Amino acid sequence: MKKLIVALCILAVLTSAVFAGGTAEGAAKKSNLRVGMVTDAGTIDDKSFNQGTWEGILRASKDFALDVKYLKPAGTTEADYLKEIGNLVDAGYNMVICPGFKFETALFEAQDKYPNVKFVILDGEPHSADYSVFRIEKNVVGVYWAEHESGFLAGLAAALQFKNGNFGFIGGMEIPAVQKFNWGFQQGVKYANANHGANVVMKQENNLYQGTFDDIGAGQQIAASMYDRGVDVIFAAAGGVGVGVINEAKNRAAAGKKVWVIGVDVDQYSEGVMPNGKSIILTSAMKYLDRASYDMIENELNGRFPGGTVLHLDATNDGVGIPVENPNLDKSVTDEVARAYAMLKSGAIKVADTGDGLFK
Amino acid sequence: MKKKSRRATSSNAFLVAVSAVFLGLIGGAVLMALIGSNPFTGFYYLFRGGLMNIERVGNTLATATTLMLVGLSVAFAFKTGLFNIGASGQMLIGGLCATLVAHKVFLPRPLFLVVLIASALIGGALWGVIPGFLKARFNVHEVVATIMMNWIAYWSIYYFVPAYLKGPSLETESASIAVSQSLRAPWLTKLFNGSYINYGFFIAIAAVIIIRFILDKTTLGFGLKAVGSNRFCAEYAGIKVNRNVIISMMIAGSLAGLAGLSFYTGYSRNMQIGVLPAQGFDGIAVALLGASNPLGVLFSSLFFGVLQSGKGFMNAMTSVPPEIADSIIAVIIYFTATSVLFQRFWDRITRYRRSRHPEQSEEE
Repeated sequence: MKKLIVALCILAVLTSAVFAGGTAEGAAKKSNLRVGMVTDAGTIDDKSFNQGTWEGILRASKDFALDVKYLKPAGTTEADYLKEIGNLVDAGYNMVICPGFKFETALFEAQDKYPNVKFVILDGEPHSADYSVFRIEKNVVGVYWAEHESGFLAGLAAALQFKNGNFGFIGGMEIPAVQKFNWGFQQGVKYANANHGANVVMKQENNLYQGTFDDIGAGQQIAASMYDRGVDVIFAAAGGVGVGVINEAKNRAAAGKKVWVIGVDVDQYSEGVMPNGKSIILTSAMKYLDRASYDMIENELNGRFPGGTVLHLDATNDGVGIPVENPNLDKSVTDEVARAYAMLKSGAIKVADTGDGLFK
Repeated sequence: MKKKSRRATSSNAFLVAVSAVFLGLIGGAVLMALIGSNPFTGFYYLFRGGLMNIERVGNTLATATTLMLVGLSVAFAFKTGLFNIGASGQMLIGGLCATLVAHKVFLPRPLFLVVLIASALIGGALWGVIPGFLKARFNVHEVVATIMMNWIAYWSIYYFVPAYLKGPSLETESASIAVSQSLRAPWLTKLFNGSYINYGFFIAIAAVIIIRFILDKTTLGFGLKAVGSNRFCAEYAGIKVNRNVIISMMIAGSLAGLAGLSFYTGYSRNMQIGVLPAQGFDGIAVALLGASNPLGVLFSSLFFGVLQSGKGFMNAMTSVPPEIADSIIAVIIYFTATSVLFQRFWDRITRYRRSRHPEQSEEE
C-alpha cells in the first residue's frame, strides 16, 4: 500500500508540474491573422492538393509575417475534419483553409459554429450531408477551378508536341473536377487535330476512371495495359492512382520505351524524374492552388475577403494553366499554347465543361 | 487469506499500469525534447485538448467509447487464452449491419435502438464465431484466422458500401445517417455542447458491468477463465474446451461489433471504404494496459481517449508536428504494451521486501 501512495505522489507532483509549466505559451498574440489548414486525405507532401495549398500559405506567411499551422486529421470523416477545425479555432487561428470537396459538409456546420473565423474551401462549397441545402455564410469562400481549360491546354500542348500519337486518360473518382479535366483534355487534342494538323488518336477503351484516389497498384496496372495497347501519352488526373501511372511510365522509359505522362493539379515534373535526370512528365494540367490560398490570405489582410461568395478561377484570372517551365516541350509548342491561353482569356476559344460528344 | 492474496495481485496490476503510463509519458517527453519542444507545454496542451471544456470532454468520451468496447473484446478473448486480432473486421461487419439498419429500418425510436444494437451485436458475433469455430474444430490458430477475417471484412465493405449504401455523390463512403436514425441523441449533444458523444458510451459502460459479471460471477466465466489458465487441466476437469473457445470468440466478436456500432452510427455516421479501423489494434493496447480486467479496460480506454482527442490541440498550440504527435502516442502505447516487464520489476521488489520481512509474508 505504501508504494502505491508513493507512486501516486510522484504522479501528482508530475502532473502539477506539467500543468504549471504550460501556462506561459498560452498567451498568444490575437490581433494578427493566424492561418490554419486542415489536410485532406494523404500527407502534406502529397505533390497535389495538400502540398499546393500549403505552399501558398507558406508563401503568404513569409510575405506578411503570419503565424501558420497545418493539422492532419485522424481520418477523413466529417467528425474528424470538424475536430481539427475546432482545434485550430480553439488555438486562436482565425482563418482556416480546407483543400478538397470532402470538407463541404464539415464547413456547412463550422460556418455557423465559428462565425468569427474565416473559412476557405478549395474545390467545393458548403452544403448539408444529403445535398438538400446549399448555404454559404459571410465568413466562407468557396473556390472552384475551370479544370476543363487546364485539361484543354495540356491536351493541346501534348498533341502539338507529338503530332501523331495515341493518347489515353486515367481518372480517379468520377467526380466533376476530374470529369472536367477529361473533357477539356479531349477538346484540346481535338482542337490541335482540327487547327494545327495534328493526327492524335483517342479511343474509348483508353479513357477510364479507376474509382479511387489512392490505389497506386491499380493505377500502375491500368497504365501498363494502356501502354501495351500502344498508348504513348496518359493524362492521369487521379491523385495516388496517378503515382502508379508515373511509376509504370518510369519503368518503361528506363527500359527504353517512349512513354509519357501528363501530370495534374500541380507541376508534377519532379515526380517523374528518372536516374538519368530526365522526366517522363510531358507537362501538367495545373490548378494554381497556391495562388488561391495566397490570394485569399492577402484579401483578408486588405479587408477584401470575398465572404459568402463562390469563386470560379479560370484562364481569365490566371487560375489554371500549364507550368511556366516545360523542359519536355519544344519552344514552338509552348509559344502556341501561350497563344491559345491568350485566346482563352479573350474568349476567342471556348472550352465546354460538359461531356457532349466526348468519351464520358 | 485467499481474499488478501487476490488484493495483492490486483494492486500489482494497478502499479504495473501506472508505471507503464508513467514511463510512456516520459518516453514521449524525451521525444518532444529531442525535436526541440518543451515537453511540459506539450503535455499540458495534450491534456487540455482532451479535457478543456465540456465539449472536449464529450469528444474524449466518444473516442474512448470505441476503444473501451474493442478493449473489452480483446480482454475477454485473452481470458480464454485467445488473441483476438480481428476486432477491426468485427467492427466493420458490426458497423455495416448497423448502417444497413440505420438506412433501411424505420421503427419507433426505442424499438429501433434495440434492433440497431442487436444488428451490430449479431454482425460482430458472426465475424468472431467463425475463427472460434475454426480454432475449436480444426485447430486453426485464431491469430491467422482473425487477420484473414479482417481482410474479408475490408473487401466486403469495399463492395457493399458503393453497391447498396452509396451517398449522393461520393463513391467511397456510405450516405450520412440522419441523427434520428443514429446513436446520437440531441439531448446528449446539447448537454455536451455539440460534442460527438452518443448512446454508445452507455452501451460501453453497460458492457463493462456485464462482462465483469460474466467473468467473476457465473459458471460460464469460470469455465472460460479455466480454459485460459490451462486448457488441458480444464479439459481434465470436465470443462468443454471447444465449446468455451467458440463462446469466447462469439462474445469477443459481438463486443467489437458494438464498437463498430458506436463508431459508424454514433461517431462518424457513415462508413468509408478502404479503411481498416485503427481502433481494432489500439484496443489491444487498451486491453494490455487494463490487464484484461473490465474495470482496467474502462480506465485505460479513458486514458487513450484523452491522448487521442487531445493530440490535435497539442499540434495546434505547439510546434510539435502532427506526425511526431502520432509517434509520441505510439511510444506511450509501446511502453504500455510491454507492461509485462514492469510486472517482473514490481514482482521482484515485492519478493525482495518479503525476504526482508519474513514475518509479513508468513502472515499472508
